Amino acid sequence: MATHDTNLADRSGSLLQSHKNYQPRVVFFYFVVALLLLTLGGGLAFQQLFNRDRHRDTERMQNQRRILVPGPRGNIYDREGRLLVGNRARFAVVLYLDELRSEFRREFIRIRKNYRDTGDKDLPSAAQMEQIARATVVQRYLDQVNDILHRAASVDRPDLMKHFARQLLLPYTLFDDLEANDYARLVEHLPVRSPLQVMASSTRFYPYGSAAAHTLGYVGVESDIDVEDFPGEDLKTFKMKGTVGREGLEKVFDTQLQGEAGGTIFRVDPTGYKINPPLDKRLPVQGKNLVTSLDIDLQRVAEDAIGDRVGTAVALDIRTGEVLVLANKPDYNLSDTSPHISHDTWQSILDRNALLNQAIGGAYPPGSTFKILTAIASLRSGKLTPDQAIVDCDGVAKIGNKLFYCDNGRGHHHDVRLAEAIGNSCDIYFYEAGRLITPNVLAAEGRRFHLDQRTGIELPNETTRMLMPTMEWKEGQTGERWFPGDTANMAIGQGFVLVTPLDMACFFASVARNEVYTKPTLLHHADAPVQHSEAIGLTPEQRAALLTGMEGTTIYGTAKDINSLPLYHVPVRMAAKTGTAQKRVVKDGQIGTINFAWYTCFAPVDKPEIAVVVMLEGDTIGETFGGGRNAAPIANLILKKYFDKRDHPSAFVQPVRTP
Amino acid sequence: MPPKRLDQARPFLTLIVVILGWLLVPVVVKTFARASFFELQAPISVAASYARDLQDYWTLRLHSNDELIEAGRDLARLNATYEESVQQNTNLEAEISRLEDLLKLPPYANYRSEYARVVRRDFSGWWQRLVIRKGKNYGITVGAPVIFSGGVVGRVSEVHAYTAEIELISSPGVRLAGVIEGETQPISFQGGINTTFDPPRGVIEFVPLNVFASAVMPKKLVTSGLGGVFPPGLSLGTVTKVEPSADGLFKSGEVQLDPRLSSLTEVTVLVPLNPE
Repeated sequence: MATHDTNLADRSGSLLQSHKNYQPRVVFFYFVVALLLLTLGGGLAFQQLFNRDRHRDTERMQNQRRILVPGPRGNIYDREGRLLVGNRARFAVVLYLDELRSEFRREFIRIRKNYRDTGDKDLPSAAQMEQIARATVVQRYLDQVNDILHRAASVDRPDLMKHFARQLLLPYTLFDDLEANDYARLVEHLPVRSPLQVMASSTRFYPYGSAAAHTLGYVGVESDIDVEDFPGEDLKTFKMKGTVGREGLEKVFDTQLQGEAGGTIFRVDPTGYKINPPLDKRLPVQGKNLVTSLDIDLQRVAEDAIGDRVGTAVALDIRTGEVLVLANKPDYNLSDTSPHISHDTWQSILDRNALLNQAIGGAYPPGSTFKILTAIASLRSGKLTPDQAIVDCDGVAKIGNKLFYCDNGRGHHHDVRLAEAIGNSCDIYFYEAGRLITPNVLAAEGRRFHLDQRTGIELPNETTRMLMPTMEWKEGQTGERWFPGDTANMAIGQGFVLVTPLDMACFFASVARNEVYTKPTLLHHADAPVQHSEAIGLTPEQRAALLTGMEGTTIYGTAKDINSLPLYHVPVRMAAKTGTAQKRVVKDGQIGTINFAWYTCFAPVDKPEIAVVVMLEGDTIGETFGGGRNAAPIANLILKKYFDKRDHPSAFVQPVRTP
Repeated sequence: MPPKRLDQARPFLTLIVVILGWLLVPVVVKTFARASFFELQAPISVAASYARDLQDYWTLRLHSNDELIEAGRDLARLNATYEESVQQNTNLEAEISRLEDLLKLPPYANYRSEYARVVRRDFSGWWQRLVIRKGKNYGITVGAPVIFSGGVVGRVSEVHAYTAEIELISSPGVRLAGVIEGETQPISFQGGINTTFDPPRGVIEFVPLNVFASAVMPKKLVTSGLGGVFPPGLSLGTVTKVEPSADGLFKSGEVQLDPRLSSLTEVTVLVPLNPE
């Protein structure tokens, strides 16, 4: 025991000794170690405290993904609440790839084993085997659907690989745009808990097919949808395809109709598959609805009446300027544009020139319908009085060195006065009226009625080619002086005068209200105020003569034949003017003249409600294609329907507008 | 003597060994064991069912003669009414068949009716199913539709030798295509989350926006016949609520199912004659 104590004392002594021999240089290393620890601690603190947000953002961007889903577009209704453009369900059967991760892996292992077992030296790469595995698994699920739907589809491998590369978080669509029967079969046959699911999206639905196609317009695919006030702008985002208005109201009111996109933020695993449940989610919201001023009953009557001919019809509510009809032919079936326009359909539309909205996009000589403006300008200038016979129409007049004929002089009009001149559309009378007031006064009157301007209607591509020519304009454009024949042509709506059919509809609505300006609109408001603008400035006698002449058109004048037929008879007094304008064209290598048949009217005469303009384009060179015979029946059918609805409202059931 | 700690852990060790052993057992054995379990359990359920029938029999026997005579008279009247209805149905079926031929409508799938006694009902938050007294021995097939006098009961989910399990339409695992009576567009019906004593409910999705229904003005939901499983026109329930979804594309709603689903004693299995 004593020995043991001695050894212990020795050891303690030696330790004590070593401590006593403590080297101060070691202190230096203490400092070094402390410095290193401090550096590490500082670095850690710097990364954890100062760079925390950056690391958090990096991590967030690595493991979170955002999916944006477009909201359905708003509906478009007619003035009576009938659905013109809506959304229909578009069912698709989709495969949620993220639920197949383990299956892909097992298939990959199986394929690799098979290759190894065969001893083949040309083994595919791992990436190739992965692709094979994915295609095999997806095909297996596709076969399930094939069995249910009795189809024999196979996986489009390049498309599948593209989906994996770019849209892994989105379900892979196996069949799109399913019929109701297919949808029902899948609902009943697919297991409730399956990676295969029936998914619904929306596509545009047009209950009336081609009706008002140019006005309503169509939509195209939009890949760049965005969502407001939804977090994760910096995250990798997958966007489902939305729509954007390409034409018509769909284009002009795209912002209003466009739904609010919804979004979902998912956490993803290192291979990019999503992990449920989502971290954040917002449902898409449907866009706002649009109530148009169109009356689909009148619109369809107009379109049916135009039929296969080329032309347009416009009807305005005279009091509010609301457009009741805006029909164009040729047109296209809007249903063919949804969910997308095929190449053949597009080519067919282009070949038939069916995209042109003639009512606003085409500028045409108005023909004799322009005589109303000539009459107004003449009366206002004081160069003409209603009871003054300014010419003795014998069917021909020599103006300058040329002979100008009265195209409407079946019998010679002789001492014609204003009302008869309008009713019988006497060209000779208006040649003289034009000469009396000069072209510049006539052009100024046209500008006063805004015939040289866009109407500002809520549609795209309204032309600017309308023209109220002046003498200076001609000299500036052609270098030629203005001839007396130019004045004569201008006075009867020929020559350089160009207007759009909508311009003429607004003009006649203004004349009906005894004012100079009508602003057309395609939006309906139940309590829309009556439009008012500057008065035309005719005396009561002058206005009475004007209206008498226009009414005479339908009684004894150029449109009497049509109005006498029961089929086209309108049960109210109406004021009208026919027109037939010529235009030189080259058609099928042949140079000649085609006619534009015009008919403009408003009714009832004593308390005007509706103005109608119809313009048809003749298709044969040299063919007589008059407004009274061709355009008037269309306008009368529109008016008949209008007054039938007005007088028998109970016969037209008002639908309930779906919310 | 093993250490005390190890002795205390023995139950856990046993459990772990059993679990490991079960994991290592081949799939074939497991499948066989599971099937055997149901087959062995079936006679117990069937015996209990017969016992209940016997109980009902003796309950009826204890009624007075007057009561039995009265019941017999009511039954005779009921039979007479049914016979008349059967005659009318025959005429109507012939008329429908004639009209279908005229319109060249596609023939509906043909079924063989197999009437079966319910031997067990699981109607809880966990299970929504029935066990019936017929199985493979009567040619019952998985997926076959099951109906009763009030409409659709569900679908056959498993078939054993002498019994079959039916998943009720109140189960979230059942989905089928229905139509609102008078409409044409098929909508998706699925069983809801139902608790033990609550009336059974289902949910509908992809309902067109022009469909309106409420508890005050309910609409009847029937099978569409388009899905290929159920014949058309069978009652599923009553739509008591529909409301638009946020995206404005469809509506979704609730369906009140027949409360008799939880107390069925007899059902009819429609066994397809030409299964796809």
